[in-house]
Amino acid sequence: MATSEAGVIELCHGNGGRLMHELIENVIRPALANPMLDTQLDAAKLPALEGLPVITTDGFTVQPLEFPGGDIGSLAVHGTINDLAVSGAVPLYLTLSLFIEEGFEISRLARLMKSLGQAAASAGVVVVTGDTKVLPRGQCGGIYLATTGIGVMAPGTNLGMDFVQPGDKILVSGSIGDHGTAVMLAREQFGLSGSLLSDSASVLPLTRALQGLEGVRFMRDPTRGGLATVAHELCRATGLGMNLWQEVIPVSDQVRGVCDLLGYDPYYLACEGRVMAVVSMSDAPSALKRWQALPAGSQAAIVGEIQSNHSRVVLTTDYGGERILEELENDPLPRIC
Amino acid sequence: MTPEARHWLNLIHGLPLDRTLKIMNVCGGHERSISLAGLRTVLPRNIEIIPGPGCPVCICPEEDIYQAMRLALDERVLLLAFGDMLQVPVNLPRSQPRSLDAARAAGADIRPIASPMDAVAIAREHPEREVVFFAAGFETTMAPVAALLGQDLPDNLSLLISGRLTWPAVAMLLESQSCEFDALIAPGHVATIMGTEEWQFVPQRHVLPAAVAGFTPESLLAAIYSCLRQTLEGRSFLDNCYAEVALPDGNPTAQRLLKNAFDVVDANWRGIGILARSGFNPREAHASHDARVRFSDHSRASRRRAGEMPPGCACANVVMGQIYPNQCPLYGRGCTPRNPVGPCMVSDEGACRIWWANGVRSHRETPICPD
Repeated sequence: MATSEAGVIELCHGNGGRLMHELIENVIRPALANPMLDTQLDAAKLPALEGLPVITTDGFTVQPLEFPGGDIGSLAVHGTINDLAVSGAVPLYLTLSLFIEEGFEISRLARLMKSLGQAAASAGVVVVTGDTKVLPRGQCGGIYLATTGIGVMAPGTNLGMDFVQPGDKILVSGSIGDHGTAVMLAREQFGLSGSLLSDSASVLPLTRALQGLEGVRFMRDPTRGGLATVAHELCRATGLGMNLWQEVIPVSDQVRGVCDLLGYDPYYLACEGRVMAVVSMSDAPSALKRWQALPAGSQAAIVGEIQSNHSRVVLTTDYGGERILEELENDPLPRIC
Repeated sequence: MTPEARHWLNLIHGLPLDRTLKIMNVCGGHERSISLAGLRTVLPRNIEIIPGPGCPVCICPEEDIYQAMRLALDERVLLLAFGDMLQVPVNLPRSQPRSLDAARAAGADIRPIASPMDAVAIAREHPEREVVFFAAGFETTMAPVAALLGQDLPDNLSLLISGRLTWPAVAMLLESQSCEFDALIAPGHVATIMGTEEWQFVPQRHVLPAAVAGFTPESLLAAIYSCLRQTLEGRSFLDNCYAEVALPDGNPTAQRLLKNAFDVVDANWRGIGILARSGFNPREAHASHDARVRFSDHSRASRRRAGEMPPGCACANVVMGQIYPNQCPLYGRGCTPRNPVGPCMVSDEGACRIWWANGVRSHRETPICPD
């Protein structure tokens, strides 16, 4: 029987033979439609890159595979290209590895591949090579994906924690914790459900908007561990401290509600389409203006400041009190990306 | 900051406080709100807020957790417990499982549940198993457990009850003078069930100012202000800063359910000892669903260190408000949420865990950032 969307994945779809070939040609390749993806070759030949090449890789194990605002397919694109984008690079190419569980519905695989293809196309990246493995039933919760991204550094970009100085401002591009909370709600854990959408998206428009602004020191997408974890990495690397101001950190009502109910701190919950930037005091207002002019940045805010008189991450609360945001100990929400 | 919070803070800062005043809060939920909002860092420096004995996991007898663990290791048994309980260490040699979590890793079928009603659903799903619900908690938890006992329960469901009343612990602290404080913030949730009047003994018998508070920083600030003002004016009465929810007589339906389900008996509190008429015990009519009746006694009182706190652990002093979490030598060193030694570092309502997880490192560390 030819591989069609009606069936399920069998172990022989990963054996390199006819069924695997059909799966790739009928289901995966059409979704990724691009002339550079030659499934007959063992390796993709890329044109010479104009600029400093940048490479990153990421694995995706999110449960559930589809959640309000995204799915593991689009996430596998956003997660990897966002790592390139916040490094100041323009993403160009992706590789894609699929680890599929025996019994997985092919129609569902097609849906996820379509979502992945669309996310790649709208970010202007192409999937140039890939690999497919099938695992026995019960081994990977449906599907795992792994993507590697290649890009080139935008000319004149100079970002890094080394450039961060006391007095620099901390900006976030939008509300925090939406992705982590949306995935948790989609699991219907604790009898909770809701309509919150994940923020999973390409951050390229946001990082592009800050290009050419000299005072931009460092950018990061606060994924696992959230804003507080990026803050800690920054403080550890620089020996500087950070004050964050609760009153101005954008948090959606639903995220706040879930956090109140379950005792989570939103500052530790993951985003998949936000950027945290450290910008000099003088350029911070103009960076904020650039972000706020974008649909993805309408809620952007200056939420804190780099300090030299301590080396902790300190939150000034809505009540004017202070508390230390510690490094995350137990991950409250495993498998969110 | 809300205008209401600003209002109460301004009033508090306007009071002529000429000495240090200590206010105890009883409830883990109160302590959490106070720590999350960083209230200690915005109050005048001579006001101390002491976390008290309001964590049901922290005062749950070690013997009860041991018993739950022994039951769970019985192949017939599927044990249900509130998630907080799973990590509490019991005093056993390292070669044996030393918490419900460790017993689970060793093969016991232990499942965390969030609501007592889940116990009925799980028992119905597994008619072939003996399902035991380890129900530990104060009045607020025991009221829904009582409602459960009032129903027609599946035959294969039994309850291992470790329920406590809150006020006897506070009465003991006041009578024994083992912890000195000038005023009390009474627990709002308990008062919604049992009524605010239950706390009249604090101002009437002990001439101590008291205020029932809700769980927002605003309500807590109002209660702190009330306590301070009563102290300064030399008056003692029971104020209600949670009047929209907590009524003088509480919730009569919940009280009736509690009365029908349980006898009030003398009970052991971990780190404190036996307190008269402070525990809930299933009435004889419910014996068929009482795990202590249905299964043989596993408590093994002769076990080494049975019922004690782990060596070096000062949870008993923390629970009784005698020391702050950071004054325990293990705080943040040998004892962290990832590797808890004592129960106060395990539970979300335990003072040590609340302080550590919310970045409170010292009761004197105010403000954190120098100007």
